[in-house]
Amino acid sequence: MRDATRSGDEAGMFATGRRLGLDHLKLGMWLFLASEVMFFGGLISAFLHFKINNPSPESAFLDVVLVGLNTFVLLTSSLTVVLGLAAIQRGDRRGLIGYLAATILLGVAFLVGQANEFALLYRHGITLSSSLFGSTFFTLTGFHGLHVLVGILWALSTLFKAVRAGYSQSSYLGVEVFGLYWHFVDIVWIILFTLIYLI
Amino acid sequence: MSMSTAAAAPGGGWRRYFTWNTDHKVIGVQYLVTTFGFFLIGGLLAMLVRAELAQPGPDFLNGTEFNRFLTNHGSVMLFLWIIPVLAGFGNYLVPLMIGSRDMAFPNMNALSYWLIPPAGLIMLASFFVGAAEAGWTAYAPLSIQTPVGQTLWAVSVMILGTSSLLGAVNFVTTVFTMRAEGMTFWRLPLFVWGMLATSLLVLLATPVLTAGLVLIAMDRVAGTLFFSASNGGDPILWQNMFWFYSHPAVYIMVLPAMGIVSEVYPVFSRKPIFGYKAIAMSSMAISILGLTVWAHHMFTSGMDPRLRIPYMISSMIIAVPTGIKIFSWLATIWDGKIRFTTPMLFALGFISMFLIGGITGIFLAAIPIDLHVHDTYFVVAHLHFVLFGGSVSAVYAGLYYWFPKITGRMYDERLGKVHFVANFVGTNLTYLPMFLAGLLGMPRRVSDYSPEFATLNLMATLGAFLLGTSVLPFIYNAVVSWVSGPKAVANPWRSLTLEWQTDSPPPAENFHQLPVVTSGPYDYGQPTSVPGQAQAVPAAGD
Amino acid sequence: MQMDTRLSSKPGAGIRTYLLVFLGLAVITGVEIGLATVGLTRSLRLPIFVVLSLAKASLVAAFYMHLRSDSRFFTAIFITPVILILAVAALFIIA
Repeated sequence: MRDATRSGDEAGMFATGRRLGLDHLKLGMWLFLASEVMFFGGLISAFLHFKINNPSPESAFLDVVLVGLNTFVLLTSSLTVVLGLAAIQRGDRRGLIGYLAATILLGVAFLVGQANEFALLYRHGITLSSSLFGSTFFTLTGFHGLHVLVGILWALSTLFKAVRAGYSQSSYLGVEVFGLYWHFVDIVWIILFTLIYLI
Repeated sequence: MSMSTAAAAPGGGWRRYFTWNTDHKVIGVQYLVTTFGFFLIGGLLAMLVRAELAQPGPDFLNGTEFNRFLTNHGSVMLFLWIIPVLAGFGNYLVPLMIGSRDMAFPNMNALSYWLIPPAGLIMLASFFVGAAEAGWTAYAPLSIQTPVGQTLWAVSVMILGTSSLLGAVNFVTTVFTMRAEGMTFWRLPLFVWGMLATSLLVLLATPVLTAGLVLIAMDRVAGTLFFSASNGGDPILWQNMFWFYSHPAVYIMVLPAMGIVSEVYPVFSRKPIFGYKAIAMSSMAISILGLTVWAHHMFTSGMDPRLRIPYMISSMIIAVPTGIKIFSWLATIWDGKIRFTTPMLFALGFISMFLIGGITGIFLAAIPIDLHVHDTYFVVAHLHFVLFGGSVSAVYAGLYYWFPKITGRMYDERLGKVHFVANFVGTNLTYLPMFLAGLLGMPRRVSDYSPEFATLNLMATLGAFLLGTSVLPFIYNAVVSWVSGPKAVANPWRSLTLEWQTDSPPPAENFHQLPVVTSGPYDYGQPTSVPGQAQAVPAAGD
Repeated sequence: MQMDTRLSSKPGAGIRTYLLVFLGLAVITGVEIGLATVGLTRSLRLPIFVVLSLAKASLVAAFYMHLRSDSRFFTAIFITPVILILAVAALFIIA
């Protein structure tokens, strides 16, 4: 079993969950992510509704290669997150700090790349209100970008805590829960990239 | 070990209800009282609407004002009263019923509550800038064109949706990870099953409404074109996104209520609940099926006609688990030693009223009938029978039933019965005429109507005024009893569920000793049970 | 709030595994960009890209989010809305 010698639940309040193999923080995060699937799913449904029923020639201005590279950047950031988790799981605090910093840089790079793409489209006259394509594109990618931003802030907070020695080989659940959020945002982008740029 | 980190000792005084307090019992009371306040506001709006409709012809409200009052009547009642009051019951009861000391995420629980007052203020503040007037359903394109108050409405609903969502995360996590020893899923009280089924819907459906509201807000504020038909937008998309949540929402509004009456029937019949597993599984079935029926609200919208029959079928299938529950409740009461206490009276009122509402729902599910009565008073009658005759009756049953547990005092039984009679008569007098009016062709959401509907409307208005006055004995009873009613014992109803095996009101840590569960929650009069033996025994140590 | 490592994922579910998964993700992304620039017919694009993106998403979910090694309940919690939203999206598109 995964029983570590130290427990954060001295009161035994979550004993039932532990017996089921469910940590309450992870369970809470997964439930929240399920709701986020529905939220993005709602926005994606609207996007697809219009893409299929009202296809737009403006989609020709989408830069697949640039954003494809950006996709690669975000995927790399998922790697750095999980390597950071692996680091603290072996007690390597500095490794965690390094990988979190890398994640933040890659996240910022992704947002810069997105801003670039937005600017490119703007120069072609495509905005939120210029056309239905603009409305759907910017809303969907905009909300994803907001989620990345929240992730970056969370990563910063995790980084600060790591610097203050808040995580250790026996106490790293917070890093894992942050990771779940970050990977989820990455997965959303994987889907968005396909639906917006590829098909 | 004590959970009083939140300074929530029972004698903590009334001030703590106005603070950020993480004790689920304090939060539960905050929910119950705050939402009841919004119930009164929503009721006042209803009185104004009914006053205008008492006679044909314009009286004191013009069309726009009328639309604003009815829009906010519906919105306040649904988003600020019935959904959160049931969450409030969940907050107070779930940890106690499962034998835990609090919810899984106490701070997030407090946040869920504290999102409600500002959201309510935002919705009501909209009256100062031109309140929302497109109905609680906010159909585009009207909802894109109305004044600023509509945006405030959208923001308010998004905040309330967030509150509800965080609550659902908390409920599910709590039930899965914090049950007392021996509290298996098949020993959970049916109210907890109701909260689980509800939480499933909240988690899966609410975010889609949020997405839709985002699109509405962006059309209004950022100039996007989602629902602008002349630019390629699609108002039907809003209807789909809205109803995908709002149909499950009606189950969110009724599943916990059904859970409440499931608690009341066995206690006041002194019999085990009939078909415990059937009721539990039916709750889950209603929840899951509830996600598949939403477009029955759109039969006349111009939706793809091929989809109409599938939605009709799925809508009718929901009657099956619902019927299983009703028959199980009746079998529970059958041949029981019935005590007609106020909670039991309201619970009995629930069955009859909900039955009328539910059956008329089946009428509406049939497409040919719906084509005639869609958007008429037939629908208004149906929804008020299920929501007011149903859910609100159950809420009252719960408020009376758990009053001694929450306050440590007993309410006045005679006043309770007066309240019940006035409420029951008022409900029927208000809403039965509406079925007829609808069948005869009176549309809903109109401030004026053809004279042939005058008598029916007058009856409905008189009934509404009776309902309005009927809350007075309740408020008086609740306030006076809470302040100076006779002290209640721990278990005045001799119920077997865990919340009754601790003091009234419970100590901050809920149980002096955490219980160990050894039986089901409704083993009344069982040959194997020891008279007075509760669902659990205290643990040897903590 | 105190953290309990007992239910965190096993350490060293393998750095090697994480790197291999990353390689897979990178390769698939490269293939996607390549195929996109080459230009396929619509009827080919859709299934190929959908399958590729689902593959990537599954890799991240199974290995980086540890769904493969954690309680199956987490997988159920994640898969349920995914399946639901597929049906919902289809219905929103048609209607």
